[in-house]
Amino acid sequence: MSDAQQANAAPPGKQVVPLSEALEKLSRLEQENKLAEADDLAKRMLAAMPEHPHILHLSGIVSYRNGRVEEAIERMEKAQALSPDAPLYPRNMCEIYRGAGRLDDAVRAGYRAVELAPNDARAHFNLALILYERLELDEAVRVAEKAIELDPEYPEAHFEKAEALLLAGRMKEGWESYEWRFKLKQAEGMLPKTDKPQWDGQPLPPGRLLIIGDQGFGDCIQFGRLIPWAALLCPQPVVACSAELMPLLRQIPGVGKFVSRWEDTGEYDAYIPLSGLPRLAGIGTDNVPPAGYLAPPDALVKEWAAKLDLLCPKGKKRIALVWAGRPTHKNDKKRTLQLKQFAPLFAREDICIVTVQKGDPIAQTGSYYGRAPLVNLGPEISDFIDTMAVLRNVHRLVTIDTSVAHVAGAMGAPASLVLPKAPDWRWLLGREDTPWYPSIKLYRQEQAYDWSGVIERVVAELQEAQSGAYPGMEA
Amino acid sequence: MRAIRCCELDMAALPLQENAALLDTQASEAAKLFNERKYAEAEALVQKLLDVMPNQRNALRVLFEIRKAQNKHEAAAALGRRLAALPGAANVRAQANTQYAQYLVAQGRHEEALPIAAAALKAMPKDATVQHLMGVVLTETGAVPEGEVHYRKALKLLPAEDGLVLANLAWNLKLQGRLDEAAELYEKALTLRPENRRGVGGKAQVEFGRGRQAAAVAVLDEALGKWGDDRTLRLLRAMADLAMRQPAAVLERLGATDGLMGPEILVRAQAFDQLGQLPEAANAWANARRMQRERSGLVYRPEALQARAAAYKAYFTADRVQVLPRARPGAFTPVFLLGFPRAGTGLLEQLLAQLPGFAGADEFAPLSDLAGQIARLTGGGGYPEALDELLLGGNLDLPERLRAQYEERRARQGLARPGVNFITDRGALNFWHIGLFKLLYPEAPVIHVLRHPYDLMLSNVMQDRKLEGNAQAGMLALAHYYALHADMVRHLRGQLTLRYMPVRYEDLVTDPELVLREVLGFIGGAGAVPQGIGANSGQVPHPLPAHFALRGPVRAAGAFRHRAYLAAMPHLFDEVRDTLAPWIEELGYMEEAAR
Repeated sequence: MSDAQQANAAPPGKQVVPLSEALEKLSRLEQENKLAEADDLAKRMLAAMPEHPHILHLSGIVSYRNGRVEEAIERMEKAQALSPDAPLYPRNMCEIYRGAGRLDDAVRAGYRAVELAPNDARAHFNLALILYERLELDEAVRVAEKAIELDPEYPEAHFEKAEALLLAGRMKEGWESYEWRFKLKQAEGMLPKTDKPQWDGQPLPPGRLLIIGDQGFGDCIQFGRLIPWAALLCPQPVVACSAELMPLLRQIPGVGKFVSRWEDTGEYDAYIPLSGLPRLAGIGTDNVPPAGYLAPPDALVKEWAAKLDLLCPKGKKRIALVWAGRPTHKNDKKRTLQLKQFAPLFAREDICIVTVQKGDPIAQTGSYYGRAPLVNLGPEISDFIDTMAVLRNVHRLVTIDTSVAHVAGAMGAPASLVLPKAPDWRWLLGREDTPWYPSIKLYRQEQAYDWSGVIERVVAELQEAQSGAYPGMEA
Repeated sequence: MRAIRCCELDMAALPLQENAALLDTQASEAAKLFNERKYAEAEALVQKLLDVMPNQRNALRVLFEIRKAQNKHEAAAALGRRLAALPGAANVRAQANTQYAQYLVAQGRHEEALPIAAAALKAMPKDATVQHLMGVVLTETGAVPEGEVHYRKALKLLPAEDGLVLANLAWNLKLQGRLDEAAELYEKALTLRPENRRGVGGKAQVEFGRGRQAAAVAVLDEALGKWGDDRTLRLLRAMADLAMRQPAAVLERLGATDGLMGPEILVRAQAFDQLGQLPEAANAWANARRMQRERSGLVYRPEALQARAAAYKAYFTADRVQVLPRARPGAFTPVFLLGFPRAGTGLLEQLLAQLPGFAGADEFAPLSDLAGQIARLTGGGGYPEALDELLLGGNLDLPERLRAQYEERRARQGLARPGVNFITDRGALNFWHIGLFKLLYPEAPVIHVLRHPYDLMLSNVMQDRKLEGNAQAGMLALAHYYALHADMVRHLRGQLTLRYMPVRYEDLVTDPELVLREVLGFIGGAGAVPQGIGANSGQVPHPLPAHFALRGPVRAAGAFRHRAYLAAMPHLFDEVRDTLAPWIEELGYMEEAAR
């Protein structure tokens, strides 16, 4: 139907907007996160033209953004059926299927998208994401490389390639592609605005290297172990990091000074992000510097011991628990659980759960009525040093892939880490241990996005797993 | 009266108060007509007078009395308020306040009467009537030890001992669990004023509480012999039947429903419940609640509760509370008992009170009062926002000072004493004050007594007990109040680090010994739980919490009562199902049903 026809068909007094304008508006509202408005417009457009493929497709995206995944898929599948050769549709559906955990459908849509648009770098990138999720890592690398071939300055594709290589244990190649991370949109502002070069691993005079605590807390804790290596080449480096990390990184020897603002760095000859050190140091899976480089102060450990002795019933094993990560993390949906999904843990009467969770998810403890006593300790924990002191006073930590896992690993505290089927690259594949943290045991999903059986395995092995010894513990 | 002289009165345009005396003669004439019960003539005259001068005190007073006599409560209250607000000499204003407060007390509106009585007391501290009034108001608003102070002042001011004041003081002491003192005072009070029927009822309740059931029944039977038509005494006698599990006697005593009042029909409902005549019980409570709605306008008013809940949820968040100062451990450990009304906190308190080192404080929870004081002490606006003032240097020790006050109250009750390490605190409003408790006693145990929500509905809907916002108005009101209560607890548990333990009523009545062992282990109390412990098996503690009066053996039949009701009346809970279903699931009672 043409715009003119629409105008003719409109009842008197009704304002008619040309279809192209309405579609453009719907798309804009979705991109501007005005989801309620977008929803309303989508409904009206669908009511007027229920068989228009592009309205269906865009409405599907709006449904997805509003959390109505089934409806989104239904609309988008209908759009694709009506217009099977439109390359945009399978390209976007690939992501929607991934979000819905339907990886078989996602990969099918992904291949269809690259078939319809063989020169669309974005379509190849989307497909690479799915292939990573399916752990088809060689194919993921190949498809990411195709995207790079089509658009050599496509940081996301380089980064995806890096992650697939690193997860496959191809560290040396992986580190090279990993350098593209600072060109990602979300990395803006992570590095100082400077004309100084990135450090190349050559010696520098004392105090002339700036090390930057980039990325998340976990990465900084993990790579912090390489600061002494850098300090051998460039003594007394300046470390720039967030205030939250400072008390932790201060425990690592060799640093000249710590700053939390760019203007305090002073003069330097070169800079290096912490996450750039493994590449320079040539870290593989067999030469990771040992953990145990962080420890809580004894006095604080005693203070928390006294507190936990009061809060936790005597005679029960204390299990620390973290079930949710930072919601803004790109893979949070994959790694975060609901507290109630740890039900097998709650059924154990011989343990006391000590949640060291921070942030909004702590509210979930208000709904807890399991057999095992639960202490919602997060509200009392101020920083990572507190967390370490608490971990010294528990039997073991059970956690998802978040910064607390790194804290536990770096201090050598025993921990059980539950991981998605396609985990972050650092946890590698097919192993229960990790070269980064010997005190952590890994528990992997058997099916993507399906936690069933994982927590049960953690709980079953609590008895025999390596445990911490703490003053309040009874045999 | 014309609106312009009444509800639309322009206060700025009133005649000067000193000119009001010009109409005193006519006002006295109206008072005379009133005293001669010539109400229509009296009203016609005062209407004219008030049209000329809307602030003529004596005329207003006559109209106030007329409206009271007519049972036009809102109009009477409005007139009482206007009289109390009129300018004039201090003693005249104090008298107006006293009259207004007395009126509110007679209406059972004690909370409203409190500031009025306080104003009168400040103006006339040497007036025995006002001191007595203050005693009544404080006692009825839960400030029972404070009420005692004013009763005793009234007694000192009176030229001779007064049977009414003594009886009221005795009731106050009964509420404090000081039953022996109360019994002694009742003897004296009833000797002075033997016709005080309420005093006789109070005496019977004290005797019941002292475990002297036969004596209590004898007092009531004797009184009923004298005043056979006294429905309050008859109701007390029926409640004694209930407590002795003689439901057939209740039904016989109260007779058929016709002509009965709400509280009487509710007692009948409980009797039917004891007899296992469940449809009859449900019918009775439905009748009673309908009657209360239709005749007394009893309706759930959740607005203030919801606003309070929103304010508390906004304030008590992990980040905000973490930075507030805390008190250090005190002389004893309070054990905070949480639970919806009728959940079983009273039963748990009764059981704990039998263990060495424990004392039960009943519902005299000082925290509500302390929360009110925080705003005053800090000058920081309303509670809980005023807690922000604790961050300022001068207020850092406020939690310590408030904890000292908490302890002082317990000492005054005779609870904080050598050998007592744990004092239970089961205030019905405790769920609001978990945040403040956290600041005063950061690591003290919080025991939450859970019970199947349907059982709570049943137990509350049959009780003639006033709840916040009139939540007792019916089952739907109760369900909404339950959701508000549960949501508040959930929020605070989710935001605060608490030494929290849930206890299920169903476990408590099935195996009290096991549950008590678990609770004792959790609290860290010394000593062992006696074998075969039950609610009425141990020594009677002193002072005796009021609910101990009705203690009976722990009854496992109290668990899951709703099942029998559902079997008899499958649709009984239809109106509350949607409200309660999420909580039933959250508490894990779905699993129980599945088993």
